[in-house]
Amino acid sequence: MTNYPLDGIRVVNFGTGVVIPDFGKILGEFGADVIKIESGENLDFMRTIGSDINNSPGFNESNRNKRSFGVDLNTDKGKELVRDLIKTADIVGENFRGGVVKNLGFGYERVRELKPDIIYISSQGFGAGGPYSDFKAYGPMLAAASGVLSLWAHPDDEYPAGASFPHPDHIASKQAVFAVLAALDYRRRTGKGQFIDMSQIEAAASLIGEAYLDYSINQHVQQPQGNRSPYAAPHGCYRCKGTDQWCAISVFTSKQWISFCNALEKPEWIEDPKFADTVSRLKHIDELEKHIEEWTQQHEPEVVMQTLQAVGVPAGIAQRAVDTIADPQLKWSNATVEVDHPVAGKRLYPNLPWKMSDMEFCESTPPPLLGEHTEEICREILNLSDDEIEQLKQEKIMEIPLLEEGEE
Amino acid sequence: MPEKMEGALTGYRVLDLADIKGTYCTKMIADMGAEVIKIENPDGDPTRNIPPFAGDIPHSEKSLYFLYRNANKQGITLNLETSDGRTIFKKLIEGADVLVETYSPGYMKSIGLDYEVLKEINPELIMASITDFGQTGPYKDWKGSDIVAYCMSGAMISSGYPEGSPCRLPGTPAYDSAAMSAAISITLSLFHRGTTGKGQYIDVSVHENARMGLYPWLLPMYSYNVNPGSPPPGPEGRLGTALYPIYPCKDGKVRVVALTPRQWDALVKILGEPEVLMLPEWREFYYRIGNADAIYAIIIGFTMEYTMVELLEAGHREGVPIVPIYDIKGFVDSPHTKAREFFTEIDHPVAGKYQTPCPPYKWTETSCQINEPAPCLGQHNENIYCDELGYSKDDLSALRRAGVI
Repeated sequence: MTNYPLDGIRVVNFGTGVVIPDFGKILGEFGADVIKIESGENLDFMRTIGSDINNSPGFNESNRNKRSFGVDLNTDKGKELVRDLIKTADIVGENFRGGVVKNLGFGYERVRELKPDIIYISSQGFGAGGPYSDFKAYGPMLAAASGVLSLWAHPDDEYPAGASFPHPDHIASKQAVFAVLAALDYRRRTGKGQFIDMSQIEAAASLIGEAYLDYSINQHVQQPQGNRSPYAAPHGCYRCKGTDQWCAISVFTSKQWISFCNALEKPEWIEDPKFADTVSRLKHIDELEKHIEEWTQQHEPEVVMQTLQAVGVPAGIAQRAVDTIADPQLKWSNATVEVDHPVAGKRLYPNLPWKMSDMEFCESTPPPLLGEHTEEICREILNLSDDEIEQLKQEKIMEIPLLEEGEE
Repeated sequence: MPEKMEGALTGYRVLDLADIKGTYCTKMIADMGAEVIKIENPDGDPTRNIPPFAGDIPHSEKSLYFLYRNANKQGITLNLETSDGRTIFKKLIEGADVLVETYSPGYMKSIGLDYEVLKEINPELIMASITDFGQTGPYKDWKGSDIVAYCMSGAMISSGYPEGSPCRLPGTPAYDSAAMSAAISITLSLFHRGTTGKGQYIDVSVHENARMGLYPWLLPMYSYNVNPGSPPPGPEGRLGTALYPIYPCKDGKVRVVALTPRQWDALVKILGEPEVLMLPEWREFYYRIGNADAIYAIIIGFTMEYTMVELLEAGHREGVPIVPIYDIKGFVDSPHTKAREFFTEIDHPVAGKYQTPCPPYKWTETSCQINEPAPCLGQHNENIYCDELGYSKDDLSALRRAGVI
């Protein structure tokens, strides 16, 4: 018999967007029964970013390993069904806009009456208990409001740059998983559940804590440094041969510097006082980086990476998705998993990225269709009869998947 | 003084042999109340040399990176390259629940302290190794760094401006995402051990974890073939500023994220419903992305009329998310940051008093706070070696002279 670490743990997931859906995805991989509460009336907005509500790549990645319980929370009967579900749960996670879940009657105080030892994580963008606690905010806005974005640029950029991906969403989801696992272990030892309020803006800020210390202690308001480092030189992402091709190079030690110079066939740099140590190289960094790009632009990024790694200098290609699929180390490590989905088809997703000697994880299950597991949950967990289920369907309290013609 | 409330992980002891790759992992665990003992080589952890420093002058007790990431931990010195050092380490392993280490693959084995050896001493030990490329595989002996992992994860090609060179996320995000994976897998192992009694060895590769930690959507977006052939918006384009545009305003800059037509309408309303913004096609998200430059040039004329806070509040009122782009000071001074008491005062014997960020949570039952400053080099040697392992002060002097501690 396989024994997954979170066997028997049930998670009720009021998730939308990224943070709590991604959190549920990971707990599902550990063997928890993660149930997403959703309805066509109140769609997770990530379902709407794509060709169809069951075929959005972002939604489908963040919602693997879950069951979908489609239910209309605006009805008393719908609420009652979810209350009955919560009575069987160990964990509740929510990241609706501040106050929404509470107004639906599923705030911590109410939920605790249903299940006294529940572990409840609530995560808003700004976090509860301040003037912006009910402000809607997506990840990239929290990067902006946390100070992180003010540092995310090259020194001469007029505006911060940021990225196509929604930082800090995927960081915050991991912080939430960690917190809930710690709470679960605490409950195992003491029998006590609890409420955790996680602020996503603080999750972003907590990764650059030293910048806040610099302000508190030195009164410095740090400015963007781009790809440069105050203690390594060169340290950057350099243009290579080809269209939009780049390779990172970082040199931390004098040993790496000597290897680097020899690999570039520039032994004269080793003796050049301008480049004698990190401090000198930082002083002449513009000149040095110009020389480096003269070399990197003559080579494909793969050649730059291989040449430098062969002599022990940290270097790595700015990989695209297709490169990460071909990456021999990631391939070796089974970092990519293919999951078949009735609407989206066979698609690729990142696998759980670490290895454990004595623990097994679930194989990833496809993200659910909207309401895909409503009936099975009614039957298996809520012990409803066929007649009762039929009536709920008639009253449109339950959501079951409505596939368009041609979808199976 | 009131008794310190216990944390969710109080009662566990963690030995911390982590460098920059894993220091955030043991920070997370320490902030939850576990007893984390940072074990440094007698000449100090290399992260003590990371600038900037308190007072701007290099000093081994004043690295801000070290101070921030090692609060709530105890610190001892131990030289694992000496035989006495290894003997002492094995004694510590007897009483430990968790070991976190970040040495190159094979190093712990070369000094006789690999998991196979340590689990004989303590079968319930949970050991996590964080390395740049993992314990095995074709790249295992490659050299890494945060920027290298960030690049290889797929995050870099998506960061920065389309025409310029890619620009990384500040801090050490690739290392920290691996550190989070380690903290998750360690806590999961502790929970699992509670029912099975089993220890665990965990292999965490920064290379692999940066991808899931930062941009797990890259691969599925490619695999779903979001934009066959052409933009907008490809998962790998550097489209941050097109997707989540930044506009100047009266006293700074704001970021506006209008995804749905309703949010767009709200933005137009806030900006006074100028005719030029009322064209029906602007309501379509992908149309706006495809014409990002044109729409930007129009909107910029209107945002300049307002302050950051006016736009933030109007956005909330009308239903379109708008936030100020705070610099470091702006975030510290924000009324929300203050209301949540995100910063707390710490008093460090060398660096002095300062405000440090707390963990990003509030818990009802257990403590999750910054209580103690980062340890000075060897600060807890006596507590651990004398009070716990029974060495005398004379023994300590001898060990110090011999370069063991």
